[in-house]
Amino acid sequence: MTTPVILPQGTLEMLILKAVSLGALHGYGILLRIQQISGERLEILQGSFYTAIYRLERRGWIKGEWGESENNRRARFYSLTAAGTRRLKAETAKWTDMAGVVAGILRTKASEA
Amino acid sequence: MSLPAAIRKFWRSTAPRTQSDVEDEFRSTLEAYQQDLIRQGLPEEEARRTARIALGRPGAQNETYRDAIGLRIFDELGGDVRYGLRALRRNPGFATVAVLSLAIGIGATTAMFSLIYAVLLHPFPYVGADRIMNPVIIDQQRPDEPRWFPLSEAQFDALRAAAPVDSALGFNNARMEITGGALPEDVSGIYITENAGTFFGVRPLLGRDIEPSDAENGGQSVVVLNYHFWQRHFGGDAGVIGQTLEIDHAPYIIVGVMPRSFAFNDTNGIGDVYLPGSLMRGLFNVSYMSYIPWIKLRPHVTLAAADAALEPIVRQFAQQHPERFPDHWSLALQPIIVPYEQETGRTLALLLAGVVLLLMIGCANCSILLLARGRTRRHELAIRAAIGASRWRIIRQLLVEAIVISCSGAVLGVAASYWLARVPLLLSPDSFPAESFIRINADILAFSIGLALLCGILFGLAPALRLSRDDSARVLPGRQIGIAAVQAKHRWSALIAAQVALTLLLMATAGTAIGSFLRLLEMPLGYDPVNVIQVGVKLHTQDPDEWSRIRTREARVAYVEQIRGKIASVPGVSTVAIATDATPPNAGTENGFDIEGSGVHEEPARVILVGEKYFAALRVPLLQGRMWSADENARGDFIAVVNRAFATRYLSWSNVLGRRLRIPGLTSKNRYQATSMQSNAWREIIGVAGDARNDGVDRPVAPAIYVPYTAVMLPYAQFLVRSEGDPLAYLPSIRAAVASAASDQQISNSAFNGTFTLNEAIERDAQYSRQRLFSILFGVFSFMALALALVGIFSVVAYSVAQRTMEFGVRLALGAPRAHVLWVAARIALVSAAAGIVVGLALDGFLGALLAHWMQNVFATGSVFVAAALLSFSALIACLLPARHAISVAPAEALRHE
Repeated sequence: MTTPVILPQGTLEMLILKAVSLGALHGYGILLRIQQISGERLEILQGSFYTAIYRLERRGWIKGEWGESENNRRARFYSLTAAGTRRLKAETAKWTDMAGVVAGILRTKASEA
Repeated sequence: MSLPAAIRKFWRSTAPRTQSDVEDEFRSTLEAYQQDLIRQGLPEEEARRTARIALGRPGAQNETYRDAIGLRIFDELGGDVRYGLRALRRNPGFATVAVLSLAIGIGATTAMFSLIYAVLLHPFPYVGADRIMNPVIIDQQRPDEPRWFPLSEAQFDALRAAAPVDSALGFNNARMEITGGALPEDVSGIYITENAGTFFGVRPLLGRDIEPSDAENGGQSVVVLNYHFWQRHFGGDAGVIGQTLEIDHAPYIIVGVMPRSFAFNDTNGIGDVYLPGSLMRGLFNVSYMSYIPWIKLRPHVTLAAADAALEPIVRQFAQQHPERFPDHWSLALQPIIVPYEQETGRTLALLLAGVVLLLMIGCANCSILLLARGRTRRHELAIRAAIGASRWRIIRQLLVEAIVISCSGAVLGVAASYWLARVPLLLSPDSFPAESFIRINADILAFSIGLALLCGILFGLAPALRLSRDDSARVLPGRQIGIAAVQAKHRWSALIAAQVALTLLLMATAGTAIGSFLRLLEMPLGYDPVNVIQVGVKLHTQDPDEWSRIRTREARVAYVEQIRGKIASVPGVSTVAIATDATPPNAGTENGFDIEGSGVHEEPARVILVGEKYFAALRVPLLQGRMWSADENARGDFIAVVNRAFATRYLSWSNVLGRRLRIPGLTSKNRYQATSMQSNAWREIIGVAGDARNDGVDRPVAPAIYVPYTAVMLPYAQFLVRSEGDPLAYLPSIRAAVASAASDQQISNSAFNGTFTLNEAIERDAQYSRQRLFSILFGVFSFMALALALVGIFSVVAYSVAQRTMEFGVRLALGAPRAHVLWVAARIALVSAAAGIVVGLALDGFLGALLAHWMQNVFATGSVFVAAALLSFSALIACLLPARHAISVAPAEALRHE
């Protein structure tokens, strides 16, 4: 098993948006999806997980609806709203941009400076 | 939408998901995780435990939710409020004292604010009331007495068309009678120009205003009623619209009723009924249309600019009617509030200062109580701090508790203020505009809520800062704080000193006000008002038949003498005198005069028109000479009596009788007045009377000339009736006696020439009622302040004695004298109170000068020392009562105390 990665501030919300963008999921499903796509490398702090979901719902980026889960339980499914889609796009662009810049700086060798 | 529904809707929008919804979701996640763990091979109990450790309890999830969507602050504040309320319930003695301290202050301040709001900020219901002006003529010889002036119709139109004038209202007051009933009823009518509806912009309570269409055909016979008249005459019957009211034997259709706040006008009397002004043209008793104007300026026109623009126009009027204007005059536009602003504004400012002091004392009291009680709460707060509450969090909690107290006080206070605000209006009705009508409205509620929050923060902040600073490590380990507690209480000593100083100020002011009022009461009136009543009779000017019979002077004199005889024959009535506008404490009118041999006198004297029994009825002594006889009275000419002030000022005391004087202005061309042949000719002084108040209760007696009332007969008469015992008891018989003199002759109930006792006339005097108002209110204020300050001192000493029981036990056990222990227990409170008294004395010296300047009358002095002595004595008692407990401590018991 690879070493766990600690999430920088604010990125959890972005990950949740991404997870939900692939299809409606209930809370636990989102948790599993994030762990699955990250290759089990992310340990999400449980407390902050639901706080992030509530906040995203409050801002209208995701919306929750009660439905039946795969094993016939009642569960609340979240899906991305139009505003959420825009937000995810903007966040992704910003993140990629920043990651590119930071990576570029870190790759700089002494001779290029 | 109903209010509860609106609140529910708002509440749902702040937190869209319910608690069970949030918990259900969380539980489903928890179960899903648990199932996963079981599938991975964990036993069920183990899986449940692991899931809960990883995710948390469902019960706490709603809190996470509310925190996430930003509602935590409200939850915490709600919790603090609930905790504060619970703390109050747990400690009812503290709660009662604290809440009442503030309720008194907030109630009194809100009452005063609503009064100021009603009287000074929004006294008139008219649209653009601040632009409505009363044009007045200022006579340069008598600049203190601005005069209204009447305009003819053409002049009124000229004024209305002037550039700075937005619109103008013309009006004319007239005495009228409601006829058609069993007895005619005397009412005050006002003719107003038909633009009244738009000029006032006041929506009628019922029906409509006077409208421009009412001017058609020489004026429609319609009438709009004043609210109070409607209540009095029709018992507030909403069905009056469309009914007919007979005024002066002519039918009028009632078209509207004005709201309660509409009491037009303050210039020369409130009307009972309002009629279209065009009707004046057709009335036989008005020779020319004459209007008194109120003008509404255009917005943003300054007073000076308007004065300058209007003065040339009024100068032209003066050329047309020189007799209506003094020789040297200038025009001034006076905002309609001005007559009240000067006197009433001062009265209210002084009362407001009083209640603000009271409020500050109440706040100081709460601070002291919180500080004192805080010592018992140190343990609780230390625990809060120890388990992670920040200092800010503790301050916030303590402040919220203080605000809970202040808001409870405000609720009580605002409820009480509704009645309190009426007190000044009841005590001094003539000092306030008739329109001012107290009600609690949004502005006043906002004011009191703001006041409550401010007070809560003001008195809560010092204790909160102080208590939140305690170091939990020092407080928590044990509770052995007995001896260490000594240093902490200097904080309230400043508050006690401040409280005592403010209380002393209030008490001294009250003492001054009461002292001046008592002195006013003791001032000799020069006449005996007890058991004398004025009975006014209005003669029938409106009924042509009746009027023709009493038109001549002689017939009128005979008629009023006949009425006098009838009243005098009522058993129990001892003396009846006829007088014209000569009812003290205000008697007579200013007139210029000449004394034979000493030329024209510039200053005027009071000319008082009376019958021969006047001095007897009022028990005014005759110092020299004699009063005129009944025959001389009937003739009216050639004689006069002067008062002592006149004799000493203008003549030499030994050479008064036989001198002659003349009053050139004592004549009239008014068709309702009838003068004797030579009313303004030379008159011989035949007597000198003692000085009786004739210029108000507080001002020196003005030089006065008494002349037989028959010299100028007016269309009304007043009788001063002295009876044995309460004169009001004789009123029914007097009424019957007057009615027997002529058919449907009855006594008048109007404000000035109506019917009232002479004691009522004194109480109605502006200065008298104002001073009585101050005495009563400041007396009450200072009593409350004293009670608050004593409660403050008492509780501080009581708390500190309770805290230091062990210390006192130790002192006594070690052999300290009881007197010393008593001193130790009461020392700080006593010293603070003494300091407060010293500061209060110093402040009072400064304030006294200010007050004397403001009240414009001589003040009783020295009351501050009486107040200081009283305050010192009560403070001493308030210290010693609880301090006694310190020496009654049994040493052994005290040591077990903690």
